[in-house]
Amino acid sequence: MSASPRSGLPATGKRPHVIYLAIGFPPAAKSCAYRMRETANQFINQGWDVTVVTIAQESWERDSGVDLTLLEQVDPKIRIVELPLVREDLETDIRLYSEDRALNPNGWVTRLRRRQMEPFPEPNFGEWREDLEKAVLRIHGEHPADLLLASCVPYVNLAAAWKLWEEAKVPYAVDFRDGWSIDVIDGVEAFSRDSAEGVWEQKILDNALSLWVVNDPIAEHYRTRYPDFADRVHVVRNGYDADSSPGKAHRANPEAGLAFGYLGTVNFTVPHLETVLNAWRAAREKEPLLANATFEVRGHIGNGSGREANRHAEVLKQAEVDGVRFGGPAAKAEVASIYARWDAMVLILIGGRYVTSGKVYEYMATGLPIVSAHVVEHDASNVLRGHPLWTGAVGIDEEGLTESFVKAAHMAVETSDEVHAEAMAHADQFTREALMTAAVKQLIDDHTALGARRSDTADTALAGNQIVAGGPSL
Amino acid sequence: MTNVLFIASVRPQLGVFADSVRKFRAAGATTYLAGTFPLDPVAEELAAMELDGTHQLPRNLNFRSTALRRKARMAPGGMKVWMQAERDSVLRRLARKADVLVALDAGAVYTVWRLAQYYRVEEAHFGLAPALKAVDRVKAKGPTGSRGVLPPLDVVKQNVRRSVDGLPATVMRHATARPVMRSTVGARMWRTAVTAPGVPPKVRIATSRYVAEGMQWAGRTSGAALALAAAASKLTDLGLKAQLLDEAVMKELGKGLNPRDLDKAVAAQLAHADAQFAAGDHEKASFALDRALFLGFHRVLHIDQLSSPLAKDAEGFVAPLYRSKVMDVMKRPQGRKTPAAPAPTDRPLRLLVTTSANDNFLHHILDRYGNHQGVELRYLDLAAQKALKRIAWAGRRVLEDRLAGGTSTYQEEVERLMRPYLDWADTVFLDWSVGPAAMLTTIDPGDTRIVVRLHSYEAFTRWPHMTDFSRIDDLIYVAPHVKDLVESLVPMLRGDSAPRAHLVDNAMDLSGFARPKSADARFNLGLVGISQVAKDPMWAVDVLRRLREKDDRYRLLLVGGDMNPKTSRATRDYRRQFDKEIAPLIEEGVVLKLGPTDDVPSALADIGVILSSSVREGCHVGLMEGAASAAVPVARDWPFYAGKPNSARTLYPEGWVVGSTEEAAKRILETTATEEAWQNAGKLASEYALSTWDWPIVSKAFDKLFLGEG
Repeated sequence: MSASPRSGLPATGKRPHVIYLAIGFPPAAKSCAYRMRETANQFINQGWDVTVVTIAQESWERDSGVDLTLLEQVDPKIRIVELPLVREDLETDIRLYSEDRALNPNGWVTRLRRRQMEPFPEPNFGEWREDLEKAVLRIHGEHPADLLLASCVPYVNLAAAWKLWEEAKVPYAVDFRDGWSIDVIDGVEAFSRDSAEGVWEQKILDNALSLWVVNDPIAEHYRTRYPDFADRVHVVRNGYDADSSPGKAHRANPEAGLAFGYLGTVNFTVPHLETVLNAWRAAREKEPLLANATFEVRGHIGNGSGREANRHAEVLKQAEVDGVRFGGPAAKAEVASIYARWDAMVLILIGGRYVTSGKVYEYMATGLPIVSAHVVEHDASNVLRGHPLWTGAVGIDEEGLTESFVKAAHMAVETSDEVHAEAMAHADQFTREALMTAAVKQLIDDHTALGARRSDTADTALAGNQIVAGGPSL
Repeated sequence: MTNVLFIASVRPQLGVFADSVRKFRAAGATTYLAGTFPLDPVAEELAAMELDGTHQLPRNLNFRSTALRRKARMAPGGMKVWMQAERDSVLRRLARKADVLVALDAGAVYTVWRLAQYYRVEEAHFGLAPALKAVDRVKAKGPTGSRGVLPPLDVVKQNVRRSVDGLPATVMRHATARPVMRSTVGARMWRTAVTAPGVPPKVRIATSRYVAEGMQWAGRTSGAALALAAAASKLTDLGLKAQLLDEAVMKELGKGLNPRDLDKAVAAQLAHADAQFAAGDHEKASFALDRALFLGFHRVLHIDQLSSPLAKDAEGFVAPLYRSKVMDVMKRPQGRKTPAAPAPTDRPLRLLVTTSANDNFLHHILDRYGNHQGVELRYLDLAAQKALKRIAWAGRRVLEDRLAGGTSTYQEEVERLMRPYLDWADTVFLDWSVGPAAMLTTIDPGDTRIVVRLHSYEAFTRWPHMTDFSRIDDLIYVAPHVKDLVESLVPMLRGDSAPRAHLVDNAMDLSGFARPKSADARFNLGLVGISQVAKDPMWAVDVLRRLREKDDRYRLLLVGGDMNPKTSRATRDYRRQFDKEIAPLIEEGVVLKLGPTDDVPSALADIGVILSSSVREGCHVGLMEGAASAAVPVARDWPFYAGKPNSARTLYPEGWVVGSTEEAAKRILETTATEEAWQNAGKLASEYALSTWDWPIVSKAFDKLFLGEG
C-alpha cells in the first residue's frame, strides 16, 4: 500500500478529514460506544469528514454484544469501516479449534496471548497491528486524512496511528480514556518506561498532538510522567447522554416495593458483588421500607464461553429470594425508561482514585438517591460530592452498605421534588454533548495551530533548503 | 425439533444452567445433559429443570486397563474426560442425534470436539450463550436431512494415527505393568535397564520415566525415584541430569518421604546453575538455583515433620549450597549508597508497616502507631494488590536479578512499584523475612531505614538465602534460639554487612487473659494451637496418659483448628495417626476438641495447666497467654533447640521447661497436688508473663526501635 504524498495539512477548500480509530463504536454494546459516538458526531458538527475504523459487528457478538439502537444517533455522514478482526481468545465455535486448543482451552489461550504480544505488546489485540496499519494507509490513500484520533483500548491502535505518522506525517491525537501506564484498578504504574509498552507510550506521546483522559488523577499521572508533554494532556470526562435521563422528578411508591437498580457491565469481583448482596439482604431484614423492595441488575455479564453463565450470574440467581433480579443487557434506547421505574441507584464500581466510570454521571442525572458500593478514595466520590441524594462512600463494607441501603430507602420516599431537581441539576455540568463539543473543538484548534506552525516552518525550511519534520514538537 | 446435548465435566452453575435450559426449551429445543461429574447429588435440581434426559458418564477409569489409567494420569484434563466418555454408548447415540453440542466447561471441550468431528455435528459450542444462538441458526436453516452413518474419512484416519502414535507408550506401559514392577526381580531388571551402557540419553530418559511411572503405579515410590536417579547417574549433560534427579526427588517429596538422593539432586541443580552462570545465561542459572533452593528447603523436610536436617547440623546442611559459585554471588552484599537517615525531629516519623497477607502479629503495632502523635502510619498489604503480590514472591526473578548484577527487568519492576513507598517512608517495618524481604532488598532503599522481623518459620525456608541483608538496617528476632539458628544458616548475617540484631518479643495484649478459673480447671491440661505437625499434640496426649495412670481427673482440652491434611502428605499422615490415637479418648470424654475460637481468654478460663508440646517454636504465644491466664505452664524442651546455648530453657523461667513426658507429668502432679499449690504456681506464672511479655512492656522496645524513645 503506498502512502499519500500529501502532508498532514488540511486541503484548502475541502472539508478536513479525521480517521477515528474507535474499536467499540456503535453498535458495539460497550460503555465506550457513547463517548465514541459523540466524538464522531462532534467532528461532523464542526464540518469535518469522519471515517471511523472499528471491527465487524459479528466480532462483538462473542464479546460484549451488539445494541443496534446505539446506531440511531450516529450521524449518517460518518463513514464506518468495519475490519474483519476478531478476538481469537473469545472463539466459542469448537469446530474451529485445533486439537491442542480443544485439549486444553485455557492453556491454549495463555499461549495465544503470549504470541499476540510479539507484534505489539498487548494481549488479545497485538496481532491486529498489521491489519490496522494497512487499513489506515488505505483509507488515507482513498481520502487523505488531516488528523487521526486513536481511542484506546485497544492500544494496538497506536501502532496504526504511528504508521500513518511515519509514512504520511498525519498528525494524531490519543484518547486514552483510562490511561495506559497507570493501572487504574490498583492505582500503581502498569509498566516501566523501559518495557515494550513504556517505549511505545513514550514514542507515541512525544509526537502526539493531544492526549485525552477521563479524570484529573489520570491526567496528573501523565503530566508527572511526561512533564514536557503536560500542556497537551486534557481531561475529557465521560459525562452522560441527556436522553438517558428520565428527566423529571421522581415519586417512589413504597407500598408497591421500592426498586433499586444497577445498570452497567458486571465487571467487579464476585466477593465485591457478594458483599453488596449481603448488605442488601441485611438491609431488607432491618428496614421495613425495604421489606418488599427489589434490586434489579441490568448489563452485560461475562464474555466468550462465560457469557451470562459465569459465577456472577450464579450469585445473582441465588439472590433472587432477596428480591434481586438479573434482567440482562439493556439497549441504549431503553435506558431512560429503566431509570424512570427505579427509585434508587446502586453504584458498584471497581478501582479507586484513578477510576471515575461513565456510570456515575448517568446515575447522577437520574436525580435518584445513589448508594455507593466502591472504595472510599474513588474518583466517583469526587464527582458525587455535593450531590444531595448521595449516601456517601463507606467502602466495600457490609455493615456500612447496609446502612447506605437504609438511608437511600428513606431518601427515596422522603425527598421533596425540589431536592430531586437539585440532584438532577448537580449533573447538568456533565452532559456528554457539552463535554465532547468542547473537547473536539479544542482538538481542532490545536490542529489548526499546528497547521499554522507547520506552514511557517515549511516556508523557513524551503528558504533554508531543510527537510521538514512534522509533529507538534516543532 | 432441535436436539441439544450439553456435556459437562464439572457440576455446572445450576441456577444459571436452569435459566438457560428454559431458554433452550422456549426456543423449541430438546435438551440432554451428559456429565462425568456425579449427577446423583444434584438429581433434584436437574429434575426441576425438566431436561429431556440426563446421563451419567463414567466418573473415572477404575475399570479400564492399567496402561490407559497410567496414560490418563499424564494426560491433559480434556483428554481424561474423553477417555472416560468415549466408549459410552448412550453418549454416542445422543451425539449422533444432536444438532447442537455444548461444552459447559473447559474439561468438556475436547469431548465435544471429538464427537462433533466424528458425527459431523455442525454446531459445537463452548458456553451457553453461543449455543443458544446456534439453536436459532439450526431452526432457521430447517431440516437438512441425515448426516450419514459413517464418520468422515479424514477423522477416521486421524483416529488411526493417534492409536499408532500412542503405540510405543502403550508398549512401554505394558512392559512396566504393575505385576512386573511389584516383583523385586522385575523392578531390579528395569533399574538395571535404565543404566545399561551405550543407550542414547533421550532413550534413557524416556525409558526411565516409563519405569518410574510403572514403579509408582505399583506403589514403589522410592523405587521410582531410584530408577530416575540411576538413569541420571549415566547422563553427562548437567541440565538433563539435574532435571531427572529433580524428578526423582519430587516423587518422594510428593509422597511426604525424605528423599534418598536429595543431596545429589541439589548438587546437580547447583552444578547446572554454576555452568549456566559461567556461560552467561543468567536466566537458566536462576531457574536451576531456584530449584536447588526449593528442593533443599522443601516443607516436607523442614516443616511437616517432627524433625529437620537443620535441627541436627544447620551449618553443615547449607555448606554445599554456599560452596557453589551462584550462591557466592547471592551472599555478596550489595549494600546501600547512603546510610539510613535518622528519624526526623521536626515532624512525625513516616512509618510504613508492610506484610504479605499475614498480619497476625501486627494488630497491636498498627493500633499503637496509628494513634501515636509522633508517627504518621501507613499500612501496605502486598498481597492486596495484584502487581505487588506478583513481585513479592517472585523468588526466581530475584535470583536472576542478583546473578545478572541487577540488570534484569525485575529490578525495574520493583523500583517502579516500591520506590514511591520508599520515597514516602522514613522507616519501613516489614513483618516476616520471606519473599517480600528478598524482593525489597533487590533495590537500594535510598536513605529509608529498613526494619525486618523474622519470626521462626522463615528459618526453614529458602527466603533468607535470597535476601540481601546488607540492605536491611535492623533485624528483629523474637527469640535468641531463632537468632542462633538463622545466623548459623545465613553467612551474610555473620559478616560486617549484617544488620543490627534485636530481640523483641511478639506484641501480645495479655491483660485480658487474667480471668477467674472455673472450678475444675485444675485438672484440665490445655494446648492452644494444633494446626501444624510441629505442634506435636501427640506429646501432650502422652503426658495425659501418664497423668491418668495416677489420677483420672486429668483431661486434655485442645483449642484451635485441626491440621489441614491437604497441606502435605506428611501432615495427612500425622493427622491420621493423631485422630486414631485420640478417638477413644474423645469418646471417653478425657480429650476435648474445642475447635477454633476468637475468644482464647474464655477458653483458657477452663484450663489449669498450659502445655507447649511443640518440637520447635519461636516463642510459643499460646503458652505465654496461658501463663498470663494463671494456668501452670509446662513447656517441652523443644527438641529442635534442646541442648543448644539458647532454647526453651533459656527463653522461659526455671522450672517451666521439661525434658520428657515423664518430667512433664511429674511437674503437673506436683503443681496441681493441692488447690493452693496450683493457684500459687499459676499466680507466679501470671505475674511473670504480665511483667515480661505484656504489650505495655514490649511496646517500649518498639518505641525505642522506631523512635529512639525509652
